[in-house]
Amino acid sequence: MALQARQHFAEELLAVQGQALGGIDIVVMQIERVTEALEHQDVELAALVVADDDLVDGRYLEVHQRILSLFALQAPVAGDLRIVAALLHVIKHVERMGDQCVNIAKLLPLVGHEPPVQQDMLDRLLRMGRTARVEAQQAKLAFAGRDVALAEDLARQDRELNALNREVFRMAVDCGGDADTREWAMAMTMVARAYERIGDNAVDIGEQVCFVVTGLFREFSDSSHPAGPPAPVNDL
Amino acid sequence: MPSTSSPVEPPVPLSAVAGGLRSPSSEPSAAAREAVFALRDLAVAYGGKTAVEGVSMDLFKNDITAYIGPSGCGKSTVLRCLNRMNDLIPGATVSGEVLFHGVDLYDRAVDPVNVRKRIGMVFQKPNPFPKSIYDNVAFGPRVLGAPKADVDRIVEESLRKAALWDDVKDRLKDNAFGMSGGQQQRLCIARAIATNPDVILMDEPCSALDPISTGKIEELMLELKESYSIVIVTHNMQQAARVSDRTAFFIVDLAAGESQRIGRLVELNPTEKVFTNPDDPRTEAYVTGKFG
Amino acid sequence: MSTGAQIAARAVDGAGLARRDHRGRGASAAFNGLMYGAVTISVLALGVLLYDVVKDGAGAVDAQFFQNQPSKVRPETAGAQSAILGTVYLMLITAAIVIPLGVATALYLEEYADRTRWWNRLIELNIQNLAAVPSVVYGILGLAFFVRAPLSLGSVLLAGGMTLALLVLPVVIIVAREAIRAVPSSIREGSLALGATQWQTIAKQVLPASVPGVATGVILALSRAIGETAPLLLIGAAASPRFNPDGLDSAFTALPVQILTWSTDADQESFLPLAAAAILVLMGVLLLMNSVAIWLRHRYEQQW
Repeated sequence: MALQARQHFAEELLAVQGQALGGIDIVVMQIERVTEALEHQDVELAALVVADDDLVDGRYLEVHQRILSLFALQAPVAGDLRIVAALLHVIKHVERMGDQCVNIAKLLPLVGHEPPVQQDMLDRLLRMGRTARVEAQQAKLAFAGRDVALAEDLARQDRELNALNREVFRMAVDCGGDADTREWAMAMTMVARAYERIGDNAVDIGEQVCFVVTGLFREFSDSSHPAGPPAPVNDL
Repeated sequence: MPSTSSPVEPPVPLSAVAGGLRSPSSEPSAAAREAVFALRDLAVAYGGKTAVEGVSMDLFKNDITAYIGPSGCGKSTVLRCLNRMNDLIPGATVSGEVLFHGVDLYDRAVDPVNVRKRIGMVFQKPNPFPKSIYDNVAFGPRVLGAPKADVDRIVEESLRKAALWDDVKDRLKDNAFGMSGGQQQRLCIARAIATNPDVILMDEPCSALDPISTGKIEELMLELKESYSIVIVTHNMQQAARVSDRTAFFIVDLAAGESQRIGRLVELNPTEKVFTNPDDPRTEAYVTGKFG
Repeated sequence: MSTGAQIAARAVDGAGLARRDHRGRGASAAFNGLMYGAVTISVLALGVLLYDVVKDGAGAVDAQFFQNQPSKVRPETAGAQSAILGTVYLMLITAAIVIPLGVATALYLEEYADRTRWWNRLIELNIQNLAAVPSVVYGILGLAFFVRAPLSLGSVLLAGGMTLALLVLPVVIIVAREAIRAVPSSIREGSLALGATQWQTIAKQVLPASVPGVATGVILALSRAIGETAPLLLIGAAASPRFNPDGLDSAFTALPVQILTWSTDADQESFLPLAAAAILVLMGVLLLMNSVAIWLRHRYEQQW
C-alpha cells in the first residue's frame, strides 16, 4: 500500500471543491425555476425559490467552515493555497447568485397575478435567464476543469447579457402607458438587473479560474473602465 | 454602446511588492541591491565524490535567505562553504567561486581564520562553551585582541542584541550550561554577534528547540537582519516562509544513479513567490508537501 | 487466601500477568550465588592482608618513625624519613616530567596527527604496547641509559625520577587522550567558527575542558609509580641511607625499597614491624591520592 504524502489533505481539498461547485448546481436550478416562474407568472414557484435559498446559504456556511479548517490545519501553500483562496471567492459569488434569484422571485408577487405584460420585454428577460443559466453552468465547468479559455469565454457571453439589460431598460423607459404598466416595467428592469448581476458573478468565478491556473489575478472586464483595463499601477 | 473587445490585458499586480510576478533575472532593482555573497558554479566533493554541483546565487545585504530542500540536497554543505568550515572536513574539495564582497574566499591568499571572524555561525545543537555566560560571549572579542576595557561593553551589547541581557545580567558569572536550550541558543547567537560579523550563518538553529523558544529566535532573526545579513538552513518550511526574504530550494539529483546523489539548486526567488507561485514544478511539489 | 485476594489473583491470572516459574530462575540464582561468592573472596583476601599489616605495624607508626633515619642494625631508633622524603621527591620529579610530555603527546595525537600516515599509526601502536611492559624492563632501560652512559647520571634521584616517568608515560598519554577526545567536536567547531586559530581553540577551550580528566589520570598514574620497586632497585636506590636526599644528583631511597630492605635484608625479626609501618604509610598515601583523584573527578566532571 503506497503512502502518498498529504493524501488526506488532497482528498479534503477535492471534497471542499466538490461542495463549492455543487453550490453552483443549486444556483443553476434556482435560475431555471425563477425564469420559469417569470414566464408563467407562477407565484408559488417563486415562493419555493425564496425558500430554497436556505440551501445556498447553508452550502456557503459549510464550505466557508471547511476552508477555514484547511487554512488552520493544513497550512496550504503555492498551488493549493490559490485553490483554497479561490474557493472562498467562488462560494461567495455562489451565495450572491442565489440572492439575486431571490430578488427576482420576490418581485413577481409584487406585480400581481395578471400583470400587463409587454411580450418583447418578457422575451428578452427570458433570454437573459437562459444566458445566465448557461453562464453559471459554464463557470462551474471552467473551474472544475481549470479551463482558462472556457473562463475567458464567459466575458463574451456576459457582454450579451449586458446588452440585453440595456435594451430592457430602454424599452421600459419607452413603454409609457398607465401606472400598472409602468410599475410592471420598472419591476422588470430590476429583474433584468438581477440577471445581469448573476452573469457578473459567473464572470468573477471565471477570473478565479485564471488566478488558480496562472497565479495572476486579472479582471476580464471592469465596469469602471469600459474602454479597457487601467494601465498597470507600478512600472515593474 | 457595446464595449470594445479588449486585447490581452497586461496583468494588474495584486500588490505593489514584486513578490508574485518577476523572476530574479528581471528584477530591475536587483542591480541596486548590494550583493554580500556571489556564488559562481560552486561544487563540493567529499573524497572525490561530488556532493553539490553548479550552485550559483547572489545573497543580498540585510536579507534573510533560507535554504530549503530534502535531506542530503547539500544545503548545509553550501552553507559551510560560506565561512570555510568545510576546510575542517578531511577530503573535502571546493571548486568554483565564493565571492564575499567581491573577494574569492577560496583564493590562496585568504586566511580562513579571518574569514570566520567576519562570517559568524550558529549551529543546530546549541554549543555553549563550558564557561561562564560572560566568558562565552567574551571569547570572540578576546581572541580578536579587543582591549579589556572594550570587552565588557561588547558583551553587554551582544547580549542585548540577542534579547538575553535582561535574563542574565545578574548572573553573568554563572555557567552557561545552567540555561535552558532556547537561552543557550540565544547565547550562541550573542557569541557570534560579539565579533561584529557582516553575515550570520545559521544551520537549522531551532530544530533542537521547543516552539516557544523557536518563536523567540525567529523574532530575533527579524530584528537582527537590520544590522546583519543572515543565511538560514531549515527543514521547517513554515519557518522559511515566516522569516526569510528569499528562499533557495535545493534537490537531490539522482540522474546519475542512486549511488551518485548530487545536490543542485533549483530555484532562488522571493519567499512570497516560492510559497504562492513558484517557478519550478519541483519547488511546487516540495513546498506543498507532495514529495521530499 | 481471603476471597478478595482470590478474586485479585484470578484477575491477574486472567490478564496473563501472573508470575510464572521459568527455566531461567535456577540459573539466575546460581549466577547470583557465584557473584556474591567472588566478591566475598576478594574482600576477604584483602581484609586478611590488611589485618595482618595493621596488626604488625600499627604500633610502630609514631613520631620517631617520621623523624629518624632508617637503620639496618638498631630497630628501636630507626625511622623512615629518608625513604618518605625520597618517595615525595621522586613523585615530584616524575610528575614534572610526565605531565608536559604526556599532555603534549596526547595533544599531538588527537589534534594534529593525520591518522592516515604510517608513522602516526606506529606511534599509537607503540604506546599501547608500552603501557603493558613490565616495570623491570624500565629499570633496565634506566640503568643502561640514565645511570650509565650516555647520560651517566649515576644512581641518583633524577635517574630514578626519569625512569619512573618513562614507566607511567604511556598511561598518562592514554588517559590524556581520552580526556581530550571527550571534549565534543561541537566545542571545537564553535570556537573555530568564531575565528580562533587551532592553537587558540586548543589552549583556551580543549585543554581547560580536559584538565579534570588529565589530572585524574596523572594522579592514578603516579599512584602506580609510587609503589614500583623493581625499577628503583635496578637504578641502584640506596639501602637504608642515613641521610635525606639533598638534590637531583643525590643518592636516594624510596618507601618500597625500604620496605623490601627491612623485610628481607635485615637480620632480625624486630625490623618487621617497621616494614609493616612503612607499608601502612605507603597505603595511606595511596589512599589519599586516590581520594583526591575521585574528588577531582566528581567536582569537575563535565556533563556534555
